[in-house]
Amino acid sequence: MSDDVTRRAVSDIPLLKTNSGPRDRELWVQRLREEYVSLIRYVENNKAADNDWFRLESNREGTRWFGKCWYVHELLRYEFDVEFDVPATYPATAPEVAIPELEGKTAKMYRGGRICLTDHFKPLWARNVPRFGLAHLMALGLGPWLAVEVPDLVSRGLVTHKENQLLQPPSAGAS
Amino acid sequence: MDAWEEIRRLAADLQTAQFADTVQRLSERNCIEIITRLVQERQLEVVHTLDGKEYITPAQITKEIRDELYVHGGRINIVDLQQIINVDLSHVEARANEITRTERGVQLVLGQLIDASYLVRLAEEVNDKLQEAGLVTISELCKTYDLPGDFLTEELSRRLGNLVQGQFDQYNRGVIYTPAFVARHKARIRGLFSAVTRPIPVITVIGAFGFHEHLLYSVLEELVSSGRLQGSVVGGRQDQAVYIPDIYSRTQNTWVDNFLQQNGYLEFDALVRLGIPDPAGYIKKRYRSSKLLFLREACVGSALVDQLEASVEEAVSSSSWVDLQPMLPSSLSEEDVGMLVSQAMRNAGVMTSASVLGDSVVVSQKFVSSCLALFDDAMQLKAHKEVKNNPVFLLTEEDMKHTSSVTESSAPSKKEKREAERRKKTTEGSGSVKGGGGGGSNAREVRIRKTKKKGRRDEDSDEDTGPSSQQGRSKAPEVSFMTSEEVVVVLEAKIGDFPEETLVELADHLARPLSKAYQEVVRAVFLSSSSSPSGANKKKSMKDLQEEVVNLFSNIRLFEKGAKFFSDETQVHITRHMLKTLCSDLTNVMVNFLAADLMMSLEDPSCITSEIRAKILGKLPEEVRSPLMKLHCCLSGKSIEDFLNHVESSAEACGLLLRKGDKKRERQSLFVHRNALMEQLKQTEEPALVLHLTSVLLFQTSTHCMLHAPGRCVPSIIGTLIGRIATESQQLLSQYQALVVKQLVNQKTGEKQGKKKEEKKKKKEEEQEKKEGEEQEEEEKEKEQEEVDVRAELLTLMPQVKDLVLGQAKTSINED
Repeated sequence: MSDDVTRRAVSDIPLLKTNSGPRDRELWVQRLREEYVSLIRYVENNKAADNDWFRLESNREGTRWFGKCWYVHELLRYEFDVEFDVPATYPATAPEVAIPELEGKTAKMYRGGRICLTDHFKPLWARNVPRFGLAHLMALGLGPWLAVEVPDLVSRGLVTHKENQLLQPPSAGAS
Repeated sequence: MDAWEEIRRLAADLQTAQFADTVQRLSERNCIEIITRLVQERQLEVVHTLDGKEYITPAQITKEIRDELYVHGGRINIVDLQQIINVDLSHVEARANEITRTERGVQLVLGQLIDASYLVRLAEEVNDKLQEAGLVTISELCKTYDLPGDFLTEELSRRLGNLVQGQFDQYNRGVIYTPAFVARHKARIRGLFSAVTRPIPVITVIGAFGFHEHLLYSVLEELVSSGRLQGSVVGGRQDQAVYIPDIYSRTQNTWVDNFLQQNGYLEFDALVRLGIPDPAGYIKKRYRSSKLLFLREACVGSALVDQLEASVEEAVSSSSWVDLQPMLPSSLSEEDVGMLVSQAMRNAGVMTSASVLGDSVVVSQKFVSSCLALFDDAMQLKAHKEVKNNPVFLLTEEDMKHTSSVTESSAPSKKEKREAERRKKTTEGSGSVKGGGGGGSNAREVRIRKTKKKGRRDEDSDEDTGPSSQQGRSKAPEVSFMTSEEVVVVLEAKIGDFPEETLVELADHLARPLSKAYQEVVRAVFLSSSSSPSGANKKKSMKDLQEEVVNLFSNIRLFEKGAKFFSDETQVHITRHMLKTLCSDLTNVMVNFLAADLMMSLEDPSCITSEIRAKILGKLPEEVRSPLMKLHCCLSGKSIEDFLNHVESSAEACGLLLRKGDKKRERQSLFVHRNALMEQLKQTEEPALVLHLTSVLLFQTSTHCMLHAPGRCVPSIIGTLIGRIATESQQLLSQYQALVVKQLVNQKTGEKQGKKKEEKKKKKEEEQEKKEGEEQEEEEKEKEQEEVDVRAELLTLMPQVKDLVLGQAKTSINED
């Protein structure tokens, strides 16, 4: 389904063990911890490969996540806000990632800016419950989607590069 | 709550991990982009390799090129370099050009880099080869070293003398020799050409001894011009060049001189055989001063011409003849002899008073006229004879020729001849006195004419008098005097030692003046003789004529009566036959009589054909012409009645009296006719004729009517006889008829089968079908046997059949 680079990246992400959703109090904590570990690992791997492409943070319970993602196309960086909720049936059901600002601009999207991952990602996810986590969601769901959709949107002129995005340091909100 | 603590800590870890600096690493893509940008902005000068994995600086390329050049021994192809260095060809070329510009000793030749050390080594190699072989051609070097000839020539000539021990050929820059080689060659050439005594094409020498062409020519020229070789080269430096040693041309000249001195002439053919290509030119050049007469294939010295001239003069002055053949060189062609003789005559000034016969016999005009005088007496005699025969003067020759050709063409088939003979025999005794004898004399005439024609043709081919004389001759009516053969016989008797073949020609030469003279003599004699006795003659001939016409006329009437016994079809046949034979004769007699008045008559009326008849009729006066013309037309018609009517009218026009036959006369002619037929029957042996005559005779005895019928009507005659004669004789007759028919059929098939047999024989040989052949032969034998039987039977029956008539005749005579 995906290229070599993605496959290697995915294989470097630690698999999860706990089959538990947000409703289970104890086990969800355990699951959440594993999620974090794998996410940290994925981010570190990306940084090491000079392939950093998103920022994520969650609410206290770890049920709602938000942040930014970006894609470099022809030496220009296109940045979008990203958000999703962890569904109650997680991990049997994959979260639905949304990019609200692209709503109505592409066909591969549901209402509310939720990106369409039905074709490839859903079956893959279903086969790998509960081993896949949020890091896998990013690597196999959002990443490929951006890689396909952004160049298309740019070429159709629906997305234009915003000059100030580059100037804005990515780490502004940290300190 | 520890767990949540840990989660919080992990969330913080994630943030720190996310906001940690990313490792600043340039990906390959970025590097390529950066370098491309730099190269575009001319801040960096590098060249990437073809596989795109490496960058290389121009200086490095130059260095590598130098290294490769050294490694490859001083010579390397730029294309090879490009593959080794693995950058774009344009960069390699640019660098290579740079190197040749900056470095001395390195050159770019045909896309290859070559340095000085390589050239030195090449020169050494060439030198080795040169010392070994003696010569080296640039073209060969080009092939082995794969370098352009100009480059090699230039480089080698620069090193000639030090590295290469040799020299270039002066004329041909493409060859290098060693001095030793040149000397060796020179010695060989000197030796060979010193030994040559005959002209020899240089090309064969080259082939035989393996000389080098360019070297040979230059050495040969040098030797000839320096006088070391006695000879000359003809034909320049091409393939046709021939070396002619002086000794040879000297011998040639002496031979020619001697020959001319001894024989007084020179044959071009002999000179060509000696190897002189243009004999006439050669002779003209060599004997410019002396006067030579050039003929077609030889030239003749003046001494010979003088000699001829003298003898011609002598012949003319002594009014005799001379044969120049013994004085002439035997090898001259006829044409040349003719030219030579005419030249001699021109020199002697006797062109008008002498003529040339044959090739070489000169006859003085006086001699010719003396020969003509020999014939005067004979001419006079013959003219008188001719006039008595009352020849046809005014009937043109062409007409006669035409008739002769017609008779000839109608003659050839054997069967027809036989038929004609038979017809003639049956007509005999039918009243036409002259009709029977016509054929023989006619044939003789034809024969004479033929020989005459042949003689004339010979004459034509010998003399070049051309078509004009022939035309004149054919126009003028000619009376032949003697054929040239006869003239020859007379001349031979009179002048003994004349050469034979020339005699014929002399005869031809005389023939025309003779016949011209003869014509005049004949005319004179005729005029003198015809004036006086013609009146009496005419009367007499008139009487004869009348008798003949009356005779024929009555016979025709009688025959017509006889014909009426037959059915319509047969009657038509018989009528036609009669019109063709008897009636034509009658017409001819009358026409001829009238023609005699106009001096156009023929000796023999029977040889007049319908065409001649029409022609003569056209010349007759008006009042006579019209009835005779009608008569003439009747001949091609079908009715005897018409014919008889016209005969009467035309006889009146001719002034002849036709009496209607009375009974007595009729009976008399019946009797005469029968007797004539019987006489003929007694003599004849041929079965068909016997049958014919017998049947006609039987018819006459039974019906008392004369019959004049063609052979094909015999069966119907026999048919009418049924019931009129005794049955035994009837049977005998039909038996005999059957046999005759059988024989005739056999003869016909025999002819055909003869041909078939030949074809079969061929086939037999080819296919070896023996069985069939044998069968065929057996059949044939049977046939032959049958034929023999039939013939024997016919012979035995013949006397009986004859007797049938002859015996009866006696009784009937008795009755009469």
